[in-house]
Amino acid sequence: MAVIENNHCIQLQVTDLSISFGGIQALNTISLAVNNGEIYSIIGPNGAGKTTLFNCISGIYHAQEGSILFESGEIMGMKPHQIAQRGIARAFQNIELFRGMTVLDNLMSARGHAMRYGFLRAALYLGRCSQEEVRCRDEVEEIIEFLDLQNLRKSPVGSLSYGLQKRVELGRALAMRPKLLLIDEPVSGMNMEETEDMARYMLDINEEMNITIILVEHEMGLVMDLSDNVMVLNFGTKIAEGSPQEIAQDPQVIKAYLGETLQLSA
Amino acid sequence: MEKPNTTYPKLLVEKARMYQNRVAMREKYKGIWQEISWNTYLEAVKHFSLGLAELGMKAGDHLSILGENCPQWVFADLAAQSLRGISVGIYPTNSEDQVKYILDHSRSRFVVVGDQEQTDKVLAIKDDLRMLRNIIVIDMKGLRHYDDPMIISFGAVEEMGRTADRKNPDRFYELVAQTDPEDVAFLIYTSGTTGPPKGCMIPHQNHMFNLYGVNEIFRFTDRESVVSYLPLCHILERGVSVCIPLITGYTINFAESIETVQENIHEISPTFFAAVPRILEKMHSAIQIKFQDTTRFKHFMYNLWTPVGKRVAEYRMAKKPLPWRWRLLYGLAYLSIFRTLRDKMGLLKCRLLMSGGAPIAPEILTFFHSLGVFAIEMWALTESCGGGTGPHHEIKPGSVGQPIASVNLKLADDGEILIKDDSVFYGYYRDPDATKEVLRDGQLHTGDVGRYDEDGHLYIIDRKKDIIITSGGKNISPSEIENKMKCSPYIKEAIVLGDRRRYLSALVQLEYDNVGNWAQNHKIPYTNYKSLARDPDVYELIKQEVERVNQTLARVETVKKFLILEKELDQDDEELTATQKVKRKVIAKRFQKEVEEMYR
Repeated sequence: MAVIENNHCIQLQVTDLSISFGGIQALNTISLAVNNGEIYSIIGPNGAGKTTLFNCISGIYHAQEGSILFESGEIMGMKPHQIAQRGIARAFQNIELFRGMTVLDNLMSARGHAMRYGFLRAALYLGRCSQEEVRCRDEVEEIIEFLDLQNLRKSPVGSLSYGLQKRVELGRALAMRPKLLLIDEPVSGMNMEETEDMARYMLDINEEMNITIILVEHEMGLVMDLSDNVMVLNFGTKIAEGSPQEIAQDPQVIKAYLGETLQLSA
Repeated sequence: MEKPNTTYPKLLVEKARMYQNRVAMREKYKGIWQEISWNTYLEAVKHFSLGLAELGMKAGDHLSILGENCPQWVFADLAAQSLRGISVGIYPTNSEDQVKYILDHSRSRFVVVGDQEQTDKVLAIKDDLRMLRNIIVIDMKGLRHYDDPMIISFGAVEEMGRTADRKNPDRFYELVAQTDPEDVAFLIYTSGTTGPPKGCMIPHQNHMFNLYGVNEIFRFTDRESVVSYLPLCHILERGVSVCIPLITGYTINFAESIETVQENIHEISPTFFAAVPRILEKMHSAIQIKFQDTTRFKHFMYNLWTPVGKRVAEYRMAKKPLPWRWRLLYGLAYLSIFRTLRDKMGLLKCRLLMSGGAPIAPEILTFFHSLGVFAIEMWALTESCGGGTGPHHEIKPGSVGQPIASVNLKLADDGEILIKDDSVFYGYYRDPDATKEVLRDGQLHTGDVGRYDEDGHLYIIDRKKDIIITSGGKNISPSEIENKMKCSPYIKEAIVLGDRRRYLSALVQLEYDNVGNWAQNHKIPYTNYKSLARDPDVYELIKQEVERVNQTLARVETVKKFLILEKELDQDDEELTATQKVKRKVIAKRFQKEVEEMYR
């Protein structure tokens, strides 16, 4: 659980967000508030609208109604790259890396939006270009050390195991130096050890780098251990919100989500 | 040879004055080799040492260090010695219980830990350690919210020292001047193949004396570049990474992380490479396996030139001049294959490779000689302060050379090697009984049995207690047979048994990667180590390997039966020591039933 308590101001405020695709109401008047420095989890059965919500926040979908305030500024309607520049990064569930490029190049590419030099300087590698490249490499090296990727710098991403690719994916999101990190199912398909490592990294990102995390995850143990607050979605509607303890006891949640798992395991 | 009249902290001050901004260490950080000068080295030791004094460390106090090799490890080591304290190294791979044993037994008041993982180990046991005052953490990552009052960061201690240094700039030098050559510099806990580890008290003077002795073989200059990768708590690596640089002034390089050691060695290409047999065996078998999987042409070239390499190796080891036709052939061999192999292994610039810590098969050393790397085997004990034997001139396969100048070595009537006690350790810390057992009549009883040949070259037969006496009354050295077996790329570990039995048998652990690779090539399905170990085809493969070894042995020495262990030996299961040596007694007991089967 995140331990940063000094700062309780709201970083991301979503109000009455709705989006529908044809006849399907994917999100129905969703409101949520994420505090600075917390780990906020979104859970819900398949098709509940979790990834749609992420797509709305990161600007891939444009919601039909509502507003999304990030650090008191409206970001709804902005293009994805503008939102990224504001400080929201995302690690995808289905790894979205350049498979033929090395780990280092993948991470460097994530710094592209921060490079401020033109075509001519880049061609000659002069002045600002080399300075910027060195500065970015320095930042990327910090992430490499943070995620223990030192031995993989020069390995092509496609040759790595699934668990490692997920870690690089997280590193790529971190390389954008976000204030808010959206992580979509970071431990799906991972074994016990890889899951523990990933949990450790997420806690460290939250604590050491002071980054707010919104997490979508099915693995309930992980969600309950890590989160400060949890929101439950079901068919595009918010059915509960609160601390992990409150959520675990909420009758509606048990019915819609946890109940099913219990029955299955019984 | 005269005993040196100085201490390691005094040497540091002297060397820093001499070399100033020359590079003392390199550490790979953020993907770049960052340099640490002799001045910075001295400053760091000075500040950390004064910081420790501020925390209340006094002469005679013990400071343990638990972590991977890094410059801070060395700083802490010398900082403790500067205060006339004693540093104690603990293997980072040790379990919580083993760490607790050493911290408790050594009565450590301070412990320097590498990272969060090691901190958690110490925190879990700190309630049982009443002597312990502070846990000093090098890498604070992930520890921001630990609120235990014992925890303090390495940087914070340095900062305390910096403030103290500003107030009184002479204090550190006064402290160093007080260090005495006869002080105990550090405790080395021996890995203990029998019973719990024992803390050897190593004094400055005797240790340094022996390093001067071995340097007659190594002939180090300040131009060497060496990679520190074996555990620093072992006397071999402590000598190579900390003490010898203080004597000769060469540069030591610290790898980026455990996973990158191989890559870092390749980048640095050290001029001197110290290794334990396990690592050299692995390099040897990796080459053999790779050539099986390579193209026909490369395979052909390897088979073509290997005999030339072997022949030339014989000349080189005997230090005989190479006839011109061999010189020509070898030149071709070197250009077409050996140079590339050396480069791949990171041994391109290596002028001397040393094997120590355990006996090695002569075949492995010959292999390195054939690549053009001068490889030697040395023999020493922690108890002898690293002093022992090494080849001074020619190398005889299987021999560990002649005694170095600093030791006075002779053989007892039963062949046990004895060393006069003026160059050895002071005894085991808090264990007078064990000390009396090995240090008596003015001699260190090494427990190793050896013999001299006509030229004064020493051959180690085995540990006295490991020698097998068959029911036929024949004395057999198991380690020699085991090493021959371990030369096979498919055998990782072999334990030869047969004391008071009719014939010899062996327990074999497979080299999982290589056997797995072989199984894939032969379309043999397997899921894990266990299924490989049970496979009849794998049994046949190992049988061929064992028979190949048997052909080189006398009849009584042949291994008649063997068994493939169904689990991999592990330090956590108490089957291996921290240096990956096999604990025979534990294993013999654990697999008693299986062994009985072989003698039925």
